[in-house]
Amino acid sequence: MNAAPALVGYTAAVGFVAPHLMLRGSWQHRAPALAAAVWHTLAISFSIGATLTAYNLTMPAEHLHADLVGLLHACGVDVGTAEPDPGMAERLAVGVPAAIGMALGASFAFHAVRARRVRTRHRKALDLVGRHSARLSATVLPYDTPAAYCLPGRNPRIVLSDAAVRELSPEQLAAVLEHEQAHIAGRHHLFLAAMEAFHSVFRWLPLARHAREQTALLLEMVADDRALRSHSHEVLATAMYEMASARTPKGALAAAGQTVLIRLQRILGPREAAHPALWGSVAAVVVAMPLLPLLVACPPGLG
Amino acid sequence: MRRLGDLEAEIMDRLWTWNRPATVREVVDDINKTRPVAYTTVMTVTNILYNKGWLLRGKQGRAWLYTPVRSREAYAAALMEDGLGESKDRPAALVHFVENMSEEEQAALRKALRSVGRQAKAES
Repeated sequence: MNAAPALVGYTAAVGFVAPHLMLRGSWQHRAPALAAAVWHTLAISFSIGATLTAYNLTMPAEHLHADLVGLLHACGVDVGTAEPDPGMAERLAVGVPAAIGMALGASFAFHAVRARRVRTRHRKALDLVGRHSARLSATVLPYDTPAAYCLPGRNPRIVLSDAAVRELSPEQLAAVLEHEQAHIAGRHHLFLAAMEAFHSVFRWLPLARHAREQTALLLEMVADDRALRSHSHEVLATAMYEMASARTPKGALAAAGQTVLIRLQRILGPREAAHPALWGSVAAVVVAMPLLPLLVACPPGLG
Repeated sequence: MRRLGDLEAEIMDRLWTWNRPATVREVVDDINKTRPVAYTTVMTVTNILYNKGWLLRGKQGRAWLYTPVRSREAYAAALMEDGLGESKDRPAALVHFVENMSEEEQAALRKALRSVGRQAKAES
């Protein structure tokens, strides 16, 4: 049996249809960590599906070279129209999937390393310019708008403007610090780097675009929820409102910015936790999704 | 053990606070009020700061006088605004935000802002 059509269909569904289904409904904002996991699962599932599709289409035994050339043309790759010889097809069968895997790995390494270099440079300057506050365990910079951000990674820093220290109440400040701490403790920057990497390999893909945007927003919500564990909704919402006027450095996770609008509405709106049944079924999907393309490619009954 | 970066911060801190050109000798003497540090160490680190572009220097007699290239506030603002492009239309975003809230949400925000206002008053 040739699994290629099924694989193509599955991969296309994950890449083009799934993101639109994911953007609908309201459960995502009630269970942001779970929703972020689903986006990552979709990305992994798409990557595996694309790799297996490439392998299936390039298998020398399947006489599918024409399909492959068509597919590569669709991706904007010109492979020429030379007669296929079996040796080359075999090399392609291994080479194309390997190239996809390597592109993803290299892209992740590139984004992670570049972000770390930016953070390191930023941190060195911070340590010269800012004053470390032992009481807040944060670096305070002289700046006239209330603002906060964190530099995650191996040697993390939470940065506050002195205006934030001056103008926010102690409770508000504590909520903001808790939010930034959640980003650092949760290693959120790695998830963002992964989505950035996925996006730069599959730039044209709706899944990649939405997954990158949604992950950033959902991780902010995860950090909000962490702050809400020990602080009231009023305190966090007003602190965010104060800081919505501030701006934050690129490559840093921010407690202010565009996404603050959606997050404020969420914090102030009626709260309802995700239903356990929903939680369970979505979690099951998260586990099963990456395995699906493998099942399609190698049906157990036909092995 | 102290790191090199700590001494860099101590030197920059003094030059920013004094707000005037100063020699390595003055910096060493000031640091020595709190802890012992060798003149050559401070000189080396000051030279590093000069080479990194944090300090300017000019000769006065036989000694170099060092000044920060920019004020602490200017560096801080640059750090804070690093990568500003992301929310250029900040006031517009806020208006947009309030406009897009439902009446209940607006009421909740007003209530939250009021309750924090009361707290601030009670504290002062």
